[in-house]
Amino acid sequence: MSGGLAARAHPFTAGSVALAMVLLAVMVPAPNGPPLLYAAVCVLAIVTGVGRAVRQAMLLAAPLWLLLFLMHGVLGEGPRIAAPWGGTLSASGMAWAIEQGSRLAAIVTASLGFAAAFDPHRFLQAAIARRWPFAAAFLVVATLDAMRRFGEQATRLREAQRTRGLKVRGSLATRARAIPALVFPLLLASLTEADERALALETRGLTAPGRRTALDPPADGALDQLVRWSVLAAVVLTLWWRVAR
Amino acid sequence: MSPRLFALIPAAVAINLVIGRIVNELSLPVYLDTLGTMLVAVLAGLPGGLLVGTISQLLSGMLSGYQWLAFTPLQWLVALLAVAAARSGGFRGSWRTACWGIGAGLVCGAVSSVISYLLFRGVTAGGVTAVSTLLRSLGAPLSVAVTAASLATDVLDKTAAFLVVGALLRALPRRILGRFPLGAKAVGR
Repeated sequence: MSGGLAARAHPFTAGSVALAMVLLAVMVPAPNGPPLLYAAVCVLAIVTGVGRAVRQAMLLAAPLWLLLFLMHGVLGEGPRIAAPWGGTLSASGMAWAIEQGSRLAAIVTASLGFAAAFDPHRFLQAAIARRWPFAAAFLVVATLDAMRRFGEQATRLREAQRTRGLKVRGSLATRARAIPALVFPLLLASLTEADERALALETRGLTAPGRRTALDPPADGALDQLVRWSVLAAVVLTLWWRVAR
Repeated sequence: MSPRLFALIPAAVAINLVIGRIVNELSLPVYLDTLGTMLVAVLAGLPGGLLVGTISQLLSGMLSGYQWLAFTPLQWLVALLAVAAARSGGFRGSWRTACWGIGAGLVCGAVSSVISYLLFRGVTAGGVTAVSTLLRSLGAPLSVAVTAASLATDVLDKTAAFLVVGALLRALPRRILGRFPLGAKAVGR
């Protein structure tokens, strides 16, 4: 988790901004809207201290940009324009590739920025303080914890199986044969663990009725509320503008 | 919601995401990112499967971009088909399981191709889009390329997923399977 403005903000504020960016990325009109929004999301991520999300998002979006260029720019239909390196490109295909590439990159950057700022403990405390259903908040936090544990378990398992001679590189058949050795132990371990965990949750009264008290609820200041109302207004205004046009 | 389901859902979502990552690292033309959804649907019923599928897509979106939320209906469809297979004892043997997997692959591939074509014009995840691009370069129209690529990859993926879940259910100790009546029915015990 980063230590910038996004991480210090109330957990619902970071979530609202990310959600608003995703919705705006779908709504803003082409041709200028998507690239401008992508630039704005990058600047916002850097300013709020989650700048590494910009680089990570570029790495994730790069294969999509390449495929958009090949599928629609090179292989696209309609009138052709000259490519700088010789040959031709589809004019409408390139326009779509830039539009869709910017929309997807803005969404990926907003998503990863939110992930970088997300603190499960603060989220759980905020959800309890707001009287959200405890089951929903618990599931989010327990799932993130399970992902970390299973991720580590998968890495250990993979190394253990490799020392026993398992091949994870080579032909398609060789790699496909590695699946059972990597997947079955993990699946069986997860089911056994879930069985034991169910008993622990029951004895701790997870499903017991009644209100829970947040021990350390994150502060929800005036700036947080202003930001949340502003992004809501931006989304509603953009939607109204797109519908009215 | 029972404590057992509370314990099972996070594990199943983690299975979806972690095994999806392992398979991606092996560079195989399958995803196996619905194993947890299928497992919970078969063991605990449709609502559990739907919940696992939805949470998986939400968390996967947090890690790789929320644009893939558009494919959430596929997780629901997989849960529905897994429950249907379990009710008719579809995980009793490998051949029966493979047939259910092929059927699920055809249905999911058809739905996936519609989402992929209408919302993304065929450019989604690496493997399937590479196949679409190859078909386009051979002269196939975009709609045909996207449909053929989605069907081919989904049939392969869902058949593998059904076979893995079937083998796991048959290998489960009676002590665990006995707590899940639908799971026991799925393998004919």
